[in-house]
Amino acid sequence: MSTETIVVLAPGPVPVGEPDQASRRSLKPAGALKAAFLIAIALYVAIPMVAMARFAFQNVPVALLSPDKILTGWSLAGLWTAISDPGIIAATRTSLLLVVLAIVLNLALLLPLAIVTEVRSPHLRPILSAITLLPWVIPPIALVVGVAATFRATVPWFLASDYSLVPFYALWAMPFTYRALDAGLRAINARTLYEAARSMGASLGTVIFRVIVPNIGAAIVAAAALTAAMVLGEFAFASLLLKRTLPTEMVNYQRSDPRGGLALALLVMLLTALALGLVVRSLRRRGLDVQTTGL
Amino acid sequence: MASVDMVGIRKEFGSSVALADFSLSITSGELICLLGPSGCGKTTALRILAGFERADAGRVLVEGRDVAGEPPERRRFGMVFQDYSLFPNMTARQNIEFGLKVQKKGPVERREVVDRMIDVTHLGEHADKFPHQMSGGQRQRVALARAIATEPRMLLLDEPLSALDAQVRETLRDEIRRLQREFGVTTVFVTHDQHEALAIADRVGVMSQGRLEQIAAPRELYERPVNAFVAGFIGTVNRIPARAGAGGRWQVLNRSVDGSEPGLPGAEGVVAVRPEHIALDHIALDQGSLARWRIEATSFLGPVTRLVVSGNGPVQMIVDLPSTDAEDFSLGNLVDVRLRDDVGHVTVITAEAVPSVVTA
Repeated sequence: MSTETIVVLAPGPVPVGEPDQASRRSLKPAGALKAAFLIAIALYVAIPMVAMARFAFQNVPVALLSPDKILTGWSLAGLWTAISDPGIIAATRTSLLLVVLAIVLNLALLLPLAIVTEVRSPHLRPILSAITLLPWVIPPIALVVGVAATFRATVPWFLASDYSLVPFYALWAMPFTYRALDAGLRAINARTLYEAARSMGASLGTVIFRVIVPNIGAAIVAAAALTAAMVLGEFAFASLLLKRTLPTEMVNYQRSDPRGGLALALLVMLLTALALGLVVRSLRRRGLDVQTTGL
Repeated sequence: MASVDMVGIRKEFGSSVALADFSLSITSGELICLLGPSGCGKTTALRILAGFERADAGRVLVEGRDVAGEPPERRRFGMVFQDYSLFPNMTARQNIEFGLKVQKKGPVERREVVDRMIDVTHLGEHADKFPHQMSGGQRQRVALARAIATEPRMLLLDEPLSALDAQVRETLRDEIRRLQREFGVTTVFVTHDQHEALAIADRVGVMSQGRLEQIAAPRELYERPVNAFVAGFIGTVNRIPARAGAGGRWQVLNRSVDGSEPGLPGAEGVVAVRPEHIALDHIALDQGSLARWRIEATSFLGPVTRLVVSGNGPVQMIVDLPSTDAEDFSLGNLVDVRLRDDVGHVTVITAEAVPSVVTA
C-alpha cells in the first residue's frame, strides 16, 4: 500500500446509559422566614375560625366579646337546637342522598372514559382534560338557566324533584375527579397493564374490572371524597333551583338564628375535613399513593 | 409455536416514517433479536406483530394466514415489556394465573401450569409476593412466566432487560434463552444492546430508520456486515482506505482480500476492519525513518488489550490484541500494521464507481 495511507477511526455506537442525573440543589429559605410564613398562614386561617367559634358558641353579646372574656359563656345549646331542627334534618338527608347519587353518576360517566382514553387513545387526553374543565368556565347561573329551560320544556317533573341537582353536581365535580382518576391511571402505567392483559387474551371489560379498577382504588376513593366535599358545600345550583339542601337550608336557618346557623356551619366543616382526613389516612395505611390523587 | 412473516410493512406516525417496507420471516421455534438505535422502528415492528398498532401497508402472516383483522387478545402472542407490567394487585402466582383464568382453564389445570412455571423460573420463594415486594429481576421473571403460561403462539419481548442492572441482566438473558429453547416458542426480542442480541439470538436483525439493514446469525453479522451501518453498529471498526485491484478484490493494509462488494479495478474506497483483525509487527529502531505507526495508548481489558496506534498526522487506528501478545508492545513503540492472515473478507463502506486514477 502507498505511503499516503490514511486511517480514520470510526467510533462504535454510543452506549445508551442512564440519563444524566444533574444534582439539584434544593433552595431552602432561611428557617426564620419559613416560620414567619407558616405563622402568617396559620393566623390567616385561624383568626376567622376563632371569631366564628366565639360568635357561634359563646353566649355573650357581640359588643362585649373582648379578649378578656374569652372563657366565659361557652355553650353548645345553639348547636343542639340547630341540629334538631326538622328542616335541617330533612336537608341533611337530601344532601347525603345527593352525595351518593352524584358520586355514582360522576364515576359512571368519567371512570370508563378516563380509562379508555388512557389505554387506547392517550393522545386525546389533553382534549378530555380541557372538556372536563368546562363546567368551571361556565358560570352556574348560565348552566342553571340553560339546563332548566331544557328540562322545563322536556321533563318538567324532573326539574321539580331534588334529584335534578344530581346531573349538575356530577358535572360540577368533573374537574376534580377527572384529575384524580387520570393521575391514578398514570401512576400505575395503565397502558402497559392493559396491553399485557390484552396479549393474554383478556377483553376490554376484563381488563377494566379485574386489572385497572382494583389498582386505582385510591384514585376512585379520592374522586368520591372530592365529589362529596363539593356537594356538601354547593350553594349556587341548589339556591337557583330552589332546593332545600344542607347549604341552602343552613342559610335559611341562619336568618332566624345566626349563632345556631354558624355553629352548624362549623360542625359541617369540621366533619367534612375529618372525613377527608380519615380517607387519606386509610389510603396511606393501605400503602396507596395519595400524592397523585389530588387529595 | 408458529412461523411468522411480516411482508412489506409500512407505518407512519404523522410525518415520520417508523417502518418503510419492512419484511421479516421467522421460522418456528426461532429466537430473533431486532437490534437498532432508538427510533429505528424496532418497537413499532413488535407492536404491529402484537396487534397494538396497525400497519399502513403490508401483511402479517402467522403460519401463512393474514392476522390483520385479529385484535391482540385473539392473536395469542405472549408479551413482556420493559417497564414491569405485572398487575400490582395480584401476587406472582395470581399474575401467572391471570391468562389461564381468561382462557377459562379449570382450577386443577391452572394450578399445575402455574406450579410448573414457578418451578422453571425459580420463583418458588417469591410465588406469594406482590410485585412491589420483588426486585426488578424477579418481576421480569414473573412477567416471562406469565407470558409463557398461556402457551402463546409467539413470544414478544420489548427490551425486557433494559431496566435491570448489569449482573441481573446477564443472568436473566441466559434464562430467557433457556426457557425459549425449553418451550420451543418462536420469539422476537427487541433490544438496543448488541451484546444481548449477539449472545442469545439465532438471528439478529439490525434496523436503521425503519429498515432491516441485515438479518443474519450473530457470527455472520459480526464478521460479514453488509454495509457501513451494520459494521459500525455491531462492535468497533476502523475505517481504512483501500484500493480495488484485479478481479474486484481490495488491497487493504498490504493484503488483497474480498470485499462485501467488488471494486472496479483501480477504484479508491474505504473499508471497515475490526480492531482484532489487525496485527502489529515490531520495527527496529534503526529503521525508524520507515515506520509509520507509533503506539499512543494501551488499555488492558482483561482477555484483550486495546492499543491505539497513530500514523502520520492525526490519523489513528484501534488494534485489539490478546493480552498475552500485547505484552510485547509498549507505549511509544514503532510498529508496522497489517491485516491478519486469516482475514479474508472486509466490508466496503464507500467505493468509487469510476476509478479516478487508472494505473498502467
